[in-house]
Amino acid sequence: MSIIESYRPQRFRLMFFQGLIVAMLLVLAGGLAYRQIVRFGDYGERERLQNQRRVLVPGPRGNIYDRENRLLVGNRSRFAVTLYLDELRREFRREYIEVVRRYRESEAAGELSRSDRPSPSQLEQISRAQVVQRYLDEVNRLLSRDEKVDMNQLNRHFQQQLLLPYVLLDDLKPEEFARLIEELPVQSPLQVYTSSTRYYPNGSAAAHVLGYVRATDEVSGDEISGEDLKTYAFKGTVGRDGLELQYDPLLQGETGAAIFRVDPAGFRVNPPLEKHAPRQGERLNISIDLDLQMAAEKAIAQFETLKGAAVALDVRTGEVLVLASKPDYDLNDFSPRLSQASAQKIHETGAWTNLAIAGVYPPGSTFKLITSLAGLRSGLISVDGFTVDCEGTVRIGNRNFVCDKSAGGVARHGVISLRDAIALSCDIYFYKVGTTIGPDAMAGEARRFHLDQPTGIDLPYEVRRMLIPDPAWKKKVKDEAWFAGDTANMAIGQGDVGVTPLDMACFVASLARGETTTRPTLLHDPNRPRQHTEPIGLPREQLEAIFEGMEGCTTRGTAKIFNTPTYGIPGLRIAGKTGTAQTSRDGNKINIAWFVCFAPVEDPRIAMAVAIEGDTPGEQFAGGHYSAPVAQAVLKAWFEKFQRAAAAPFTVH
Amino acid sequence: MSSKRFDQARPFLSLGIIVLAWLLLPVGVKSFLRVTFFELQAPVQVTASYVRDLQEFWADRSHSKDELIEAAHQLRHAYAGYEFQAQQAEAQQAEIARLEGLLRLPSNPKYRFEPARVCRRDLSGWWQQLTIRKGSNYDLTVGAPVVYSGGVVGRVREVRLYEADVDLVSSPRLRLAATFENDTRPVSYQGGNNPPLAPARGIVEFVPPDIVAYSSTPLRLVTSGLGEFPPGLTIGYVQRLETSPDGLFQSGEVSLDRRLTELTEVTVLVQLPPD
Repeated sequence: MSIIESYRPQRFRLMFFQGLIVAMLLVLAGGLAYRQIVRFGDYGERERLQNQRRVLVPGPRGNIYDRENRLLVGNRSRFAVTLYLDELRREFRREYIEVVRRYRESEAAGELSRSDRPSPSQLEQISRAQVVQRYLDEVNRLLSRDEKVDMNQLNRHFQQQLLLPYVLLDDLKPEEFARLIEELPVQSPLQVYTSSTRYYPNGSAAAHVLGYVRATDEVSGDEISGEDLKTYAFKGTVGRDGLELQYDPLLQGETGAAIFRVDPAGFRVNPPLEKHAPRQGERLNISIDLDLQMAAEKAIAQFETLKGAAVALDVRTGEVLVLASKPDYDLNDFSPRLSQASAQKIHETGAWTNLAIAGVYPPGSTFKLITSLAGLRSGLISVDGFTVDCEGTVRIGNRNFVCDKSAGGVARHGVISLRDAIALSCDIYFYKVGTTIGPDAMAGEARRFHLDQPTGIDLPYEVRRMLIPDPAWKKKVKDEAWFAGDTANMAIGQGDVGVTPLDMACFVASLARGETTTRPTLLHDPNRPRQHTEPIGLPREQLEAIFEGMEGCTTRGTAKIFNTPTYGIPGLRIAGKTGTAQTSRDGNKINIAWFVCFAPVEDPRIAMAVAIEGDTPGEQFAGGHYSAPVAQAVLKAWFEKFQRAAAAPFTVH
Repeated sequence: MSSKRFDQARPFLSLGIIVLAWLLLPVGVKSFLRVTFFELQAPVQVTASYVRDLQEFWADRSHSKDELIEAAHQLRHAYAGYEFQAQQAEAQQAEIARLEGLLRLPSNPKYRFEPARVCRRDLSGWWQQLTIRKGSNYDLTVGAPVVYSGGVVGRVREVRLYEADVDLVSSPRLRLAATFENDTRPVSYQGGNNPPLAPARGIVEFVPPDIVAYSSTPLRLVTSGLGEFPPGLTIGYVQRLETSPDGLFQSGEVSLDRRLTELTEVTVLVQLPPD
């Protein structure tokens, strides 16, 4: 028997090593199973996050139309020629090699030293810029231009927005777009890209109402899958003022998205894995009547340098027909972006402010309507039983108060009652009424019509600093006593009283309905029901007397220009009230010309308030001469439409 | 046994070697071989085309005298009509020249009309092209517009010595700047993916939203004149437009002329250098 044959292995040693190997294999298998089965989801998710990217494309904003479906704000197409950098990977690589080769040759020829050679990342940037410039030169050739690549911008785009097309030229003219469409090969990395920008067919019309937008990088993609992926977004827009801001969520388009697979360098490698088309935002039909709006703006603009505002409401529904403020700005200047020069010009002219909702003025004699209502409701005066002998001046407290005429002189109206006092705007009469009923009665009546509050119109930046003063307010805020002179001033809408043109328009609309509240809205609803609010609480004949006084204002009183051939509107009975108030600006007295009205007297449909600021300190500035013509322009346009609608045959479909 | 297996595998081996050799060939050689192939193939196609012409000639000779007299009558009517239209066009050209002179406008590009016989049609799901019987021997250039009596045929894609390939207007590789008749705003036209034997169609995009097309009154799509093509040539007709989801534009299908698939003769517009 040989030694080998006689050898018997130590069995336990063999078993130990076998067991060890089995255990190690089990550990390996367990580890593999753990990673492949238990951690499968985690690794899959990590892989997904690492090699997928999401691109968000904001949807175009919704259009805005006036109450007759005329386009006020739309979108115009904006053409750009873009370059998809991810299709140029090979060209970038080839160019890089070529650039390096040229540097080496220059170094070999002794033209450059080794230290002059840029770093590899700089060489990459140079080669990318050269490739892109070649494509841009092709575009330059087609469009007869001489544009150069902005290297910094290109690098920024490459680092941060590689998946988005790189814009070579933006805002192309239609002819340029057409030429590129025809001349660029279909498969070229150069493509014509379209986006939208806001378009305002009527320029500055209703600029403060419509508002404007600004570009934003914040594009909402929360409701689109892949929110955990690295996301690139095209610039979107967000409302900054006016309805664009107020109804921004409604107008915002639905964001579109595409999810791409990318390679380790971040380049797109396939068609999108998932794609959602962007959708346009909702359309908005607003209550503005473009014809009336333009009539108002044109009428205010005739005063050239003067500022002013006009508001017209549908008496029955509170829908705003006109909301004009001058000076204003051309909304197209904001699209696609406002230049520094245009912004400076708007700032200098004060056109940023929407005077209709942010211009707080003393209402002047238009407040006499409140004084009249307060007097009649207090029972201390009556329509015909309360008369005053106007001799042009009256002493109240230790001051002499005069009866101002529009021309600046002193009026002597003689014995006068409510109707004529309203028609002729007799200050002495209303001083007497004010001192008879007291400031609290007037303040209370004004507050019943909510003249101390914002109207709640669906526009941003409506001011809250309108003011109806009373003795308690004066004591609290100014720590001063209330004097009889304060009461007299308040009775004619002077002193600390401050309201906006929109407040006054709402007041007149409420008065025309015999109620106390009008809630204005800029949304148009053809089936909107008539507003019903708290009644004023005056007998019909007393209310009629006020209306008669207001009608007298436009036929024989301070707004009798409505009774002239130039400004008359045959067939339309107008109830109005003028006002001229003084306010202090930069230490100077500025006059505010007011006119408030409603029409037709027999069936009120439209209510208006117009306020025009004077620009010359101390200048006499009557509402009948400045504001009434603005109202006349709107009323004339409205009445023509009203008559046409009434004459139109009724058709049953 | 093993030699039999080798014999069976020999075709595959040969194919593999050929493919490998082709892949390893330098690009210049490949390009040369490709051009040579087409240039050598051209005389065959041209000859076949001439044979077809001869065949048509003898077929025409088989018509009776009455038929020929009738055809001559119709031709005279058509000729009279065309004569009148030619006179009108001449008067309009003179007026355009006068106005251009008054306004000191640069004159529109002028073309030489080069008629060419079609020697091959390649109308498949992948290709939509014609081969015409003229090439660089008639100074044809790549990109030159090709037209016929019904409007646009396509654009010259490749020019060889005796023949040229024309991308048909139905080819997805052809894109044109177009306008609708009586509208000046440019839109984009591109050939569609046309399956074999189906009516040829294209796609019009970037159509402004206010343009409306009805199937009862289709809109005529014409060349814009902003590219190589002169303005006003018919591309096709659009019966329906659909607004894109973003509301910015409309797009729609363009019905192309059925005669495109049967063309035997076309005209190449060779642009003349400015005076």
